[in-house]
Amino acid sequence: MEGPERGAGGLGGWVKNVVFILKAPGHSTWRPQSGLRRPDRAELKGAEGNASTLDRTDCTQRPGHRSLGRRWRRAPARSVTGRRPSRDGTCAVIGRREFPAAAARDPREAGCMGRRRLRGHRGDAVGALPEAIAALSQTLPAGPSPEIFRRAKFDRPEAAPALWQLLFRVLSPLPADGAPASPASPASPALEAQVHLVKSALRSQGYPRRALAQLPEDGSQGSRELLLALAWLLARGPLLEQLLAQTRVRLGDEIPLCECEALASAGPLPPRQEADGPVDIRHLQWLMGKLRFQWRNLITSQQEQCALLGKIHSYTRGCHSDRSLGHLSVAETELFRDPEGGRQLLQRLEGENAQLEAALVWRRQELVFWKWMDTVLGACPLEASQPTFLPRTPTVGASELELVAQELQALHEELRGVAEPRRVAWEARAGGWGPEWTAVQRASQEAVGRELAALQRAWEQGEALAQTHGPRRLVKRDAGASGGPGLRAAELIGVLRSRETCLEAVLGRLQTRCWQELTRLAGARPGLLWILPPGR
Amino acid sequence: MSIVTVQLGQCGNQIGFEVFDALYTDSHCPQGLCSKRENEAYQASCKERFFSEEENGVPVARAVLVDMEPKVTNQTLSKAAQSGRWKYGQHSCFCQKQGSGNNWAYGYSVHGPRHEESIMNLIQKEVEKCDSLSGFFIIMSMAGGTGSGLGAFVTQNLQDQYSNSLKMNQIIWPYGTGEVIVQNYNSILTLSHLYRSSDALLVHENDALHKICAKLMNIKQISFSDINQVLAHQLGSVFQPTYSVEGSCHYRRNPLGDLMENLVPHPEFKMLGIRNIPQMSENSLAYSTFTWAGLLKHLRQMLISNSKMEEGIDWQVRPPLSGLPTLGKASLNRGLHFNMSIANLVILRGKDVHSADLGGFKDSALYTSWLEPINAFNVWKTQRAFSKYEKSAALVSNSQFLLKPLDTIVGKAWNMFASKAYIHQYTKFGIEEEDFLDSFTLLEQVVASYCNL
Repeated sequence: MEGPERGAGGLGGWVKNVVFILKAPGHSTWRPQSGLRRPDRAELKGAEGNASTLDRTDCTQRPGHRSLGRRWRRAPARSVTGRRPSRDGTCAVIGRREFPAAAARDPREAGCMGRRRLRGHRGDAVGALPEAIAALSQTLPAGPSPEIFRRAKFDRPEAAPALWQLLFRVLSPLPADGAPASPASPASPALEAQVHLVKSALRSQGYPRRALAQLPEDGSQGSRELLLALAWLLARGPLLEQLLAQTRVRLGDEIPLCECEALASAGPLPPRQEADGPVDIRHLQWLMGKLRFQWRNLITSQQEQCALLGKIHSYTRGCHSDRSLGHLSVAETELFRDPEGGRQLLQRLEGENAQLEAALVWRRQELVFWKWMDTVLGACPLEASQPTFLPRTPTVGASELELVAQELQALHEELRGVAEPRRVAWEARAGGWGPEWTAVQRASQEAVGRELAALQRAWEQGEALAQTHGPRRLVKRDAGASGGPGLRAAELIGVLRSRETCLEAVLGRLQTRCWQELTRLAGARPGLLWILPPGR
Repeated sequence: MSIVTVQLGQCGNQIGFEVFDALYTDSHCPQGLCSKRENEAYQASCKERFFSEEENGVPVARAVLVDMEPKVTNQTLSKAAQSGRWKYGQHSCFCQKQGSGNNWAYGYSVHGPRHEESIMNLIQKEVEKCDSLSGFFIIMSMAGGTGSGLGAFVTQNLQDQYSNSLKMNQIIWPYGTGEVIVQNYNSILTLSHLYRSSDALLVHENDALHKICAKLMNIKQISFSDINQVLAHQLGSVFQPTYSVEGSCHYRRNPLGDLMENLVPHPEFKMLGIRNIPQMSENSLAYSTFTWAGLLKHLRQMLISNSKMEEGIDWQVRPPLSGLPTLGKASLNRGLHFNMSIANLVILRGKDVHSADLGGFKDSALYTSWLEPINAFNVWKTQRAFSKYEKSAALVSNSQFLLKPLDTIVGKAWNMFASKAYIHQYTKFGIEEEDFLDSFTLLEQVVASYCNL
C-alpha cells in the first residue's frame, strides 16, 4: 500500500535524517546524508514525489512498488534491540529510517492492513511511550505531563499553553549562574510575550515550518505544531545536554574563560525598533555616557568580588577534603555557615540527580518517541506551497493564504519600484550618501575584518595556550606550587596583556591617523576656529 | 564600597574635617527614628564607606590631607584627634612649608610635579586599605593657589592612574567680591582642567552659604567654620546611606556610582548643585514640624527659581507651558529666570518617606526636551532621620543654576586677559597664553551648551 509520501519529504524526513546520523550507525542499505542539512524549500512543499530527494538509496521507496513484504522481511535485520514481535506476527519495529513506511501507514489511509499494522505498532509501544515522554518531560525544564503530549498529537487547544511555556523556557537564555527560579527573579512574562519570543527565536534558528509562525498570538492553538517544533529542536542538536549544563548546580567559584559559546547560543534577538521622529544627539551622548558609567561600576564590583574571593580562599585553606583543591569555595563556605542553605543545596543536588537519571532513561527509550513523532507528523495537513515567506500573514484559511500572499508580494514590488528612484534622487541631492558611500562603507568593513583576522592569527601562532572555553573553577595556590592540571592565571594574564598591548598599538596608530586627518581638514579652511570637545 | 577623600589646600582641609565630623555625628545620633537593627545597618554602611577600622577601635577617616602650609593641616589633625571619636590616619598628611601665593600656575606646574610621587603614594596606601573602591572625592577651592592648581594636577593624575574609578570634585566657588585679585584666572583654569579629567563637579558657592548662615541659621558673626558646617550638612544629607531599591531594607552600595550614572553621563554637562531643606539652627529645630508636601513644594520652587534656600523664594517663576517650540522656551527662560534642569536626584530622609508625593518633580516642563522625566528624575529614600531633622530632603541637580555665575567669571577673566593683566605671573611658571585660550574656549562651549537646553 503506497500512498503519497505525505510529509515524507517534509520535516519528519529531515528529522529522521538528522537523528539517524547522530544515533544509529550506518547500515548497508542506507546511506545517510552527509552531516546536518537544512531542507530547502522544494522539500518543504510536502508535495508528492519528494521522498526521492531524501531516500535515494532506500529501495523501499521505489515508486509504484509494493514493497511492504520486502520491508517486513528485512525489518528484523534492521530492527533495534529490545522489541518483541507484534500480535499479527509482523515485526512492527520500524526504526526512524522507516519513516516513509510509517507515513504510508498513516491512519488516514484506507486499508485494513495499514490499520492493523498500526495497531500492532501502537500496542507494542503502549507502555514504553508514556515512560519515554515522562522521562523527556522530567529532563526538560517546565516539562508538561505526558497527557499534554498526547493531546498535542491531536492538536487539542488545551495543550497549547503548556507547550508554549515549555518552548519559551527552552529557548530563552538563562542567567549565567544558572540559578533556579527564585522568588526574587521576575515572574515569567505573559503568554503573549512568550508566544512572540518563541516565534522569533525559532525563526532566527531557521525553523522551516511556516504554520507555526501563523499561529495566533494568544497561545490558544497549535499544540501539534509546537510538538513538531520541540522535536525539531531536540533532533537538531544536543538540546538536553545544553539545558542540563545551563541549570547545573555549581559548587565551585567559577569564572568564564571564553565568551564565544555564550554568543553562539544567544537567545532571540530583540526586535529592532525604529525611532519615531528625529533623535537628539545629546540623548544619544547621554545614553553612551550612562553605559560607560555602568561599565566602570561593573569593573569596580568585579574587583571587589575578586578581593573578597581571595580572602575567602586564603582563610579557608586546608579545609577542603579534596587535597587538590585545598580550600573552600563560596558555596561550600555557606554550607558551614548556614545549615538551612545546606539543606536547600542538597535538595537542588537531588533534583539535579533526578533530572540526570531521567535523561538517561530518555536516552534509552527515545526511539519510541521518534516513532511516535512520525505519526504526529503524518497527522499534519499538507503545507500549502507559497512563493515567498511573508511575515505577519493573517490567519485565514489555507486556500486564501496563497491569494493574499501574492497580493502582498505584488504590493511589495510596486512599493519598491516607486521608492527606489526617489531614494536615488534624494541621495544624489544629499550627496555623499549615494552608492559610493555604501561602497566605501563596505570597503572599510572588509578592511577592518581583515585586520582583525590577521591579529587573531598572529595571536594564535604566538601562544602555546590551547583555546579554552567555558567556565572554570577558581582555585588558589601558593606561589611556589607547580604542577597539577588546569590553567595558570599568571599565564592567562600574560596572554591577555600581550593582546592588550597589541590592540593599544593599533588604536594609537588609528588615533594618530585621525588626528592627522583632522589637522589637515583644519588647515584647509583658514579662518575657521575648531573647538574640539573636552575629553582625552 | 568605599570613597577616598583628598583634601587640598586650606579650604579643602577645613571643609573635609567638618564633613567627616558631620557624617560621624549623624551615624551615631541616637534619635534615628528607626529600629535598632536598621540603625546598626546604617552605621555600618556609613562606616565602611568613609572610615576604616584601626586596632584600638577608633575609626580612621579614609582621607589624605595635602597642603603647602603646615598650619591648617596641623589644626585639622589635632581637632580630629582631640574629639576622641574619630581621627585621621597618622601618615595620611602631606604638607610643605612653602605656600603657593594664590598662583594657579605655581600649584600646577611647580608643586604638582615636585610632590607628585609622595602624594600619589599616600593615596595609593589609602586605596589599598579599601576592600572595594567606589571612587575619589576631592575637596578644593577654585580661587586659591594650592587647592586650585595642585587640585587640578592631582585630579589629572588620578585620571591616569585610576582610570576606572569615579572622581567627584567638590569645588568652592569664591565670593563675588573676593579678596584675591587673580581669582578669576584661577577659577577658569581650574574649571577647564577639571572638566577634562573629572567626572562630576559639585559646586558650592560661598555667597549662597553665607546667606544661609545669616538668614536661616541666624548667626551674627559668620566664621568659616559656620559656613563649612552648613556645607558638611548638605554633603552628609546626600552621601549618607539610602535604600537601594524602593521599599527594601538594604542600603545602597555605591551611591557615588549611582549618582553619577543618573546625573552626569553627558560629557558636556558636569556641573552639579545641592539644595537642602529644611536648614535651621538647632534651637529652632525643636519648635518646627514639617510635612513632606510642604517641603517638596518649596524644594521644587527653589529648583525652578534657582534659589539656594527656602527663604526669599521667587514664587512668580513658573515652568514654561509645554507645546511651545524650543526657541520660545529659551526666550521665556531668559525672561523669567526659569532654571531648566537636565537631571535631578531627590533624597528623602525621615519619617513616612514612603508617603511623600514626588509628582511635582516628574513634570516634563522642568526638564530639557531631549530627556524624559522617567530618565531624568530619580529619588532615593531612607526612613532613618538625618542629624536630628525629623524630615529632610536634599536635591542634587544638573541644571542651569551655575550659568550666570560662570558667565560672569568668564567675562571678568576675559577682560583681565584682554589687557594682559597679571599674565606674567602665570607664564613665569609655564602656563602660556595658549592654555588660557584653551580654557576660555572650553568654558564658552560649556556656557553655550547649558544655554541651549
